[in-house]
Amino acid sequence: MITAGVDIGSTSSKVVVLEEGEKILSKVIIPVGAGSSGPARAFEQSIREVNLSREDIKRVIATGYGRNTFTGADQQITEITCHARGVYELVPGVKTIIDIGGQDAKAIGIGKGGTVSNFIMNDKCAAGTGRFLEVMSRILEINIEDLADLAASAKNEISISNTCTVFAESEVISQLSTGTAREDVAAGIVQSVVGRVAGLVKRIGVQSEVVMTGGVCLNWMIIKVMEKELDVPVIASPMAQLTGALGAALLAFESAS
Amino acid sequence: MTQLKDLLSVLENVANNPAQVINKCLEEKRLMIGCAPEYCPEEIVYAAGMLPVGLWGGSTSIKNANLYFPAFACSLVQTTLELGMRGVYDRLAGIIVPAHCDHLKCFGQDWKVAVPQVRFIPLAHPINRKLEAAVEYLKSEYFRIKSVLEEIGGKPISDQALSEAIEIYNDHRKTLREFTTIARDYCTTITPSLRHNVIKSGYFMDKLEHTQLVNSLIRELKKAPPEEWQGKKVILTGIMAEPNEILDMFEDYGLAVAADDLAQESRQFRTDVPQGKDPLEGLARYWSCMEGCSLLYDPQKNRRFMLKTMAEESRADGVVACIMKFCEMEEFDYPIYKKTLEEAKIPLLYLELDLVTPSLEQVRTRIQSFAEMISRKR
Repeated sequence: MITAGVDIGSTSSKVVVLEEGEKILSKVIIPVGAGSSGPARAFEQSIREVNLSREDIKRVIATGYGRNTFTGADQQITEITCHARGVYELVPGVKTIIDIGGQDAKAIGIGKGGTVSNFIMNDKCAAGTGRFLEVMSRILEINIEDLADLAASAKNEISISNTCTVFAESEVISQLSTGTAREDVAAGIVQSVVGRVAGLVKRIGVQSEVVMTGGVCLNWMIIKVMEKELDVPVIASPMAQLTGALGAALLAFESAS
Repeated sequence: MTQLKDLLSVLENVANNPAQVINKCLEEKRLMIGCAPEYCPEEIVYAAGMLPVGLWGGSTSIKNANLYFPAFACSLVQTTLELGMRGVYDRLAGIIVPAHCDHLKCFGQDWKVAVPQVRFIPLAHPINRKLEAAVEYLKSEYFRIKSVLEEIGGKPISDQALSEAIEIYNDHRKTLREFTTIARDYCTTITPSLRHNVIKSGYFMDKLEHTQLVNSLIRELKKAPPEEWQGKKVILTGIMAEPNEILDMFEDYGLAVAADDLAQESRQFRTDVPQGKDPLEGLARYWSCMEGCSLLYDPQKNRRFMLKTMAEESRADGVVACIMKFCEMEEFDYPIYKKTLEEAKIPLLYLELDLVTPSLEQVRTRIQSFAEMISRKR
């Protein structure tokens, strides 16, 4: 039986096609998300790559911010439940998940069998999210992928507000205009995101193993600083931003079986 | 069944279109007094022959009220002032504004300047409410309000009229208590939204008429056997569970309301006004008898135990904290009852609500995730 998970985030669309709930047939990421052509294109591409049609897929579950607008799905499940299921498959000992997505951050407590025991989401502000890192990278004139390396070379990390993206942007511009080194600002940006998200995680209780998902977990400095902040090892999900789609595909398999 | 549907339709229509009821009141030349959140002595208004009208803001954008309020004032006071400044409440003969929190204190002062056409009637409750001196003080506050209403109405308010009003209100409270208890056995018919509207409609109707309608509704409900509910049940706690779309989301994800601890709902009717020889003293003592609200001074913080007991007795699967954004009174209580509920292993959802935000998708994700969490719990 073939199932698929479609994770429609605010900044990207991810699809995982699964055979018998075990073998990944295809996985696709398209860097545009809810409200765009991204979800449909990602889904089309994922089934075309393995010469399948929609009829070949027994069940499709949509998740993420745009889950309710994807017409090709049989069911919608939130990204919280899907990330929990996905991470549990990849790291069975998981107790806490940190998911930093494009527009929000979530801390998820995991109970028996990969079920969600508790969760908390950030406020509406974009501080502590992938969007925050995007905005800050633009000001630093670097690609978001290079932020970790730049931050690692900091000598005198500065402090940046972690309560509001708009104010933080003003702070960063102000720091740069007074001659603060870009790497010190970059380290301050990383610390700002981690400080904000670690606060969320502490509110649900930090229990090892801690796994980070979402595109932001590809930033190794975020992982390193998060470990320091939480005082526990933090594992980057092996499937990073595809973890939610994997969870959705697994849940599709389980509900169809 | 038709009778049941008709009754629900009438009450829902009143809750969603209070202007119709208000216009009827105007035709009858009955004066109306606005009652700002959360606790006003409506019985005095009623005894004056006037209609107390509950003002609990509404879903609207802020264009005028930000002249007076900073962005971090709760949307309940912001939208009520906004509607007042737009002239929506111009037909009211006055508005009673309690000063339960800092935002309401500012709201009353702002109202005086921003909406001068609707008379501002201030009310300051005592904080140390268990003292006899507090009862005495609050009685003097109510006496002052009674005098203002006598001046507006042009006639005295007798003790007999006050006692009768208290009786009518206590009867109304008893009826709503019965309704909320019965409603949990009919979760398919009484959806979260309908349950809310049945209660909310009482803010715009004569309490005698509302009591009769709700009693008829209870009788109609009882004609059918209790309904089997496949979904989950939750307790709602906080100030209010609006905007309306929120409760529709509960229904979308198979969540029914087992009971509530909302200031707009059960906190208004779970305690009766003590009856006695002196009706104003009874009304003042009522403030001392109430329990379990973030606006009531309670050094023991008994709300945490009340919520735990409520969840256990109503066999709820979880508790949803409907936190009005920027309501520090509710935010102060939250960590206290969170700890108690966590120790009792009762799932708790923190839901930040705001009457002025048109997009509710993040709220939807929270509600759906909570529904999934309590449904999948192994």
